[in-house]
Amino acid sequence: MEVLGKSLLELKALVDEKKIKTEEIFHYFLQRIKKYDPKLKAFMTVVDRDRSGLPIAVKDNYCTKSVRTTASSKVLDDYLPQYESTVTEKLWKNGFSLLGKTNMDAWAHGASTETSDYMLTKNPWDLTRYPGGSSGGSAAALSAYLTPAAMGSDTGGSIRHPAAWCGVVGLKPTYGRVSRYGLISMGSSFDCPGPMTLTVKDNAYLLGLLAGKDRFDATTTNTAIPDYVKNLDTPQRFIIGLAESYFENVDNEIKSRLNQTITVLKKLGHQIKPVKILSPKYAISVYTVLQRSEVSSNLSRYDGVRYANGRHFFGAEAKRRTMLGTYSLSYGYYDAFYKRAQKVRTLVINNFLAIFRDVDLIIGPNTPVTALKIGEFEKYPFFGEIMDALNEPASVAGIPAISLPIGLDRQGLPIGMQIMGNYFREDLILNLAHQFEQETEFFGVIKKGIERYQ
Amino acid sequence: MKNYLLTRKEILHLARLANLYLADEEIEKYRRQLSETVNYVKNLSELNTDNVAATNQTTNLENVTFIDGEINERQLSQEEALSGTKQKKNGYFVVKRII
Repeated sequence: MEVLGKSLLELKALVDEKKIKTEEIFHYFLQRIKKYDPKLKAFMTVVDRDRSGLPIAVKDNYCTKSVRTTASSKVLDDYLPQYESTVTEKLWKNGFSLLGKTNMDAWAHGASTETSDYMLTKNPWDLTRYPGGSSGGSAAALSAYLTPAAMGSDTGGSIRHPAAWCGVVGLKPTYGRVSRYGLISMGSSFDCPGPMTLTVKDNAYLLGLLAGKDRFDATTTNTAIPDYVKNLDTPQRFIIGLAESYFENVDNEIKSRLNQTITVLKKLGHQIKPVKILSPKYAISVYTVLQRSEVSSNLSRYDGVRYANGRHFFGAEAKRRTMLGTYSLSYGYYDAFYKRAQKVRTLVINNFLAIFRDVDLIIGPNTPVTALKIGEFEKYPFFGEIMDALNEPASVAGIPAISLPIGLDRQGLPIGMQIMGNYFREDLILNLAHQFEQETEFFGVIKKGIERYQ
Repeated sequence: MKNYLLTRKEILHLARLANLYLADEEIEKYRRQLSETVNYVKNLSELNTDNVAATNQTTNLENVTFIDGEINERQLSQEEALSGTKQKKNGYFVVKRII
C-alpha cells in the first residue's frame, strides 16, 4: 500500500477499513525518520513504545509521562515528566500514539529554531535555510512527511510562522480553546496549543478532539465546540477584511501571491473589504513587554531543586528575555512598561472587536519574507521579533488564526497566508481555509514538499 | 524620545533579581540588546491610553475554582514527586541553606 502523502484522515480511514495496520504505518514513518532525520534534525526524541494508534509528532514542550521532555533547553536535559499534558492525554485516548518529540527554539523563544540548545532543524525545502519557529521541528517533520500530523504551540506565531516557512497548515486556536495543562509555560496569557497538518480537514479533526474545558487549566472555557469537520461540508460566503496595514515591509512576491489568492476568494463568492487594523508595531511592543514579563516569572521556577538542572544552564535567549521581563516588572518601570502594555493590549482587542462587527474574517500575510538562510536572522534588528510582527496581533488579542500555503516564490520557497477570526470562530476560519484548499490544492505546495522526500 | 542606554549597574542588578549568572562579555551584550528593545517598545506611549482599562486576560472568565471536596487526581506520590531530583534525603528535597 502506498502511504506517501496520505493525510491523517486518509490513513485513519484505511485503518478503520482494515486495509492497513497501525503497526505498518508506524514502521513506515520510523523508516522515513531514520532515512531523512539525520539531515533535517526535526526530532529531539524518537519514540517506539506503542504502535497501536496513528502516529503523531509532538513538540518537545508538551509533558509526556516518562518520556524525556526538554523544551530544547539544557536546563531540562534529563527531565522525565511525572504526568501527562491534557493535549497528549486526549490524543492517546483518541487513537493516537507518540511517534516522537520535536525540536524547537529553547522554551519556544524564537522564530528560527536556532535557539534550541541542541541542534538546528533544517528547512526541508532548502537545507541551508531555517524552518521558522518556534515549532520548527514539528513543521519540518510534517513538510517532509516524517509524520502525518504534529502538535505545535503558538505564543506569538510559533505555529503559524514555521507553518508558512515549511508550507503546511498550522492553526493557533483561540486562547482558552485548548488546554495548556502540561504545556511548559512560556507566556501564560498567550500560549495556545494547536495542530499542524497537511490538510484543513485533518486540522479540524484534531481541533475537535482537543478543544474544550479542562479542570486542570482554569483559563479554558465552556464555549460550545462545533463539529469542525462536518462544518466543512457546507461552504459559507464571507465578508473578508483585508489587513492593509500588514502589507508594509512585506516582500513583493508575497504581496503578489496574496493578490492572486484574493482573486480566488472573490471567484468563490466572498466579498473582500479593506479594514483598518492598528499598525502591528504596537502589538509587537505589547507582546514584547508582556511576554518577557511572563517569561521571567515562568522561568523563575527552574532552580534545579525538584527536577532537572539549575539556572546556569539557561541559554542566551532565555536569559535575555528573563532580564527584560525583570526590567519591565521592576520598581520604577512597571507603570511605564508593563501597565501601559496591558492598556494597549485593550486597544488591540477593541480594534479587532470593532472590525469583526463589519467582517467575518480577516486575511493578510503572516511573514514579511520567506525562509531566511541560516545565519541571516542576525541581520534583522530586534533579534527576529520582527519576523512575527504580523502574527503577534492575533496572539495579543487571543483570537484564532491559521496559516495556509498559497504558493512558492521564485526561489521555490513556500509562502504563507493568514486567516484570523473572531473569538472561538475557528469554524469560520476552517470553513474558508477548506474552500480555498478545495479550489487550489494550495497550488500544489504540500504535495511538492512531500515529493522532495520520496 | 531620547535613546536610552541601560547602565552596567542596572544589568547587574537585573541579573541579581532574576538569579542569573552573567559572564563578563554578556554584560555588555545585554546592555546593548536590552537597550535596543526598551527603545523600541517606547512606541507604546504614542497611543492615548487615558481611561483605558488594563487587560490581564483575554477570556473574561471569573471566579474559576475547584469544587470543595473534589478528589485531586493530579496529586503525585512522594516517590513520584522526588523522582526527578538530584539531591534528596529521607524523602525530602535538599535545598541550599537559607540562614
